[in-house]
Amino acid sequence: MVSCGAMADGVRISFTDVAKRYDLRVVFRSVSGEAVPGEVLVITGPNGSGKSTLLAILCGLLRPTRGMVCHVLNGDETAREEWRNHLGVVAPAMSVYEELDAMENLRFFARVRGMNDADQRCHECLELVGLETDRRTPVRGYSTGMAQRLKIAQALLHDPEVLFLDEPGSNLDPAGKGWLGEYVHGLAAVGKTVVLATNDRDEMKWGQNHVTLAG
Amino acid sequence: MSRLLVEALAVAAKDLRTEFRTRVALNALGLFALTVLAAVSYTVGPYRITAEDRPFLLAVLLWIVIFFAALAGLDRSFVKEEESHTAPLLRLAASPTAVWLGKLGFNLVLIYFLMAILVPLYCILMGYKIQLVGGFALILVSGGYALAVITTIVAAIIARALTRGALFSVLSLPLLLPLLIFLIQGTAGAADGTAETVTSTLRAVLSMGGIMTIVSAMLFPVVWAD
Amino acid sequence: MRVADILKWLLFAWTAVVIVSAFFYVRPAEGFIGESSRIVFFHVPMAWIAVLAFLVSCITSVMYLKRRDPKDDIRASVSAGLGLLFAVLATTTGAVFARIMWNSYWNWDPRQTSITILLLIYAAYLALRGAIDDPERRASLSAVYAILAFVTVPFLVFVVPRIYWSLHPDTIINTRGSNEFDSRYTQVLMASLVGFTGLYIWLYTIGCRIEAIRQRRRQEVL
Repeated sequence: MVSCGAMADGVRISFTDVAKRYDLRVVFRSVSGEAVPGEVLVITGPNGSGKSTLLAILCGLLRPTRGMVCHVLNGDETAREEWRNHLGVVAPAMSVYEELDAMENLRFFARVRGMNDADQRCHECLELVGLETDRRTPVRGYSTGMAQRLKIAQALLHDPEVLFLDEPGSNLDPAGKGWLGEYVHGLAAVGKTVVLATNDRDEMKWGQNHVTLAG
Repeated sequence: MSRLLVEALAVAAKDLRTEFRTRVALNALGLFALTVLAAVSYTVGPYRITAEDRPFLLAVLLWIVIFFAALAGLDRSFVKEEESHTAPLLRLAASPTAVWLGKLGFNLVLIYFLMAILVPLYCILMGYKIQLVGGFALILVSGGYALAVITTIVAAIIARALTRGALFSVLSLPLLLPLLIFLIQGTAGAADGTAETVTSTLRAVLSMGGIMTIVSAMLFPVVWAD
Repeated sequence: MRVADILKWLLFAWTAVVIVSAFFYVRPAEGFIGESSRIVFFHVPMAWIAVLAFLVSCITSVMYLKRRDPKDDIRASVSAGLGLLFAVLATTTGAVFARIMWNSYWNWDPRQTSITILLLIYAAYLALRGAIDDPERRASLSAVYAILAFVTVPFLVFVVPRIYWSLHPDTIINTRGSNEFDSRYTQVLMASLVGFTGLYIWLYTIGCRIEAIRQRRRQEVL
């Protein structure tokens, strides 16, 4: 493995010359950038430019055709197995279980993550996103906005060092968007790393660093 | 180790709970098996086959019903995760081994549940007399295990492909064929009372199940993560 | 390149000699109807290549999972394609022979069963490759499937025929023993095995080069 250079606390994600190709489609040819603790990295680009694909590669769900991605935690490169304990993801293509209710969903994710005081943390997260009263309704009966809130709660459940957000404000009401923006700022302020893929003008203002993908 | 078990149980419990609420796999598996059983018992019935052919031919029919029922439903737990887009979050939250163990547990519950209902019904409807009931039960249990292990890893593979339905049978069958032949032999042996065939079958089925368990445990993280 | 050219001509000469001697150097073996024994010189090497190609596929699959080198994936897929071709050839020649000797194209002789399953494995492997459009995922999933199939095969080759035989003793029709054949037979068969192996290696390297060029052209688009 190529070392990525040691850094201070928090999670740093650097990616160099990353490319992804499917059989009949080139998603992007070469993208580089870096997400550092305490800052929000914004990925923008028109539809089909590969924002979600890049996000999937950065969180380790997809193998790039070429290029290198490094996850560095507190100065050490993290192993794949350990990496998943440090990130939370909200993305349109990643759903929670529709047959379960909000509480069951969170409890399940807490359990497979091996968390201890799970129930209390689940309630906290539901309260945070404003779903505490609807926690016993199956997700199937949720509106898209409520489902989005639950996905955010799921991503925050284990208090991750890195948060990946793919169009997080979609389907949220103005109040929800406002809350989310402030919350993300708060996370960055305490040294968390945030990667945000969006085309929303307001959301783009959350971040200091920008990576723009060509169409 | 115990932590892994707790996580695996969480996965299996989640699958059972969603399955209990939707009954997708159970319907696929159970309805298929019952329809085929009805068709077989109507067309072949208990007395069409001569007494000397019975132990073998009825074993063939029994295992074909079980295998094809398995192929109709045991891919659901993985395919559903992909189709409802829940797989990525599970991938990010749970350890691969816990997912594999959980899904294997879920498939074991399904296959044993199917067997518990199908096999007695089959024996009654077809008039299948088993001399060595204990051996027969052991063959069913070990055969169900090997069947679940093999179909679980194949289901994990095909869930990540574009065309899933037909691929599951196409990929499973070559791997299942030796198992099918072993089990038919052993069941025929249990029916006509040759203990020797039963033990040699159990050896073969258990060794196949064991090897497939080890290989699956090693390879599943690759299948799941890529 | 010079060495490769010489080897190519050597292979040509070698197989030519094998073909001629298969028809003129060896006399028809006893216990076989007419000239039917001559097919063995082509049938057996084809079956051998079908198995060899499978082995190569499995080994390169393991190497892919270890090194993640796209070239290993190319090797595995090319070898599987050749394996399918030779398995089909072996099955067909075998069926023709069976028709002449035993008056039926197909009778689920243990060897026929084994090659059928090998055919099914190849078909399944290639079907899986065709159903995944992400090159990285296709490489690793098909490698896993090749390894799973590899683990299954010993059970087929060693265990299934034996059980099968004990069940249907009347289907044991494969009674040729080595004493019925003179040394010429062995010589030609061995030479043919070497020739076919050379042919496989040649086709394999060409296949790998073609596939590498195809991938490079895709990379150029990238």
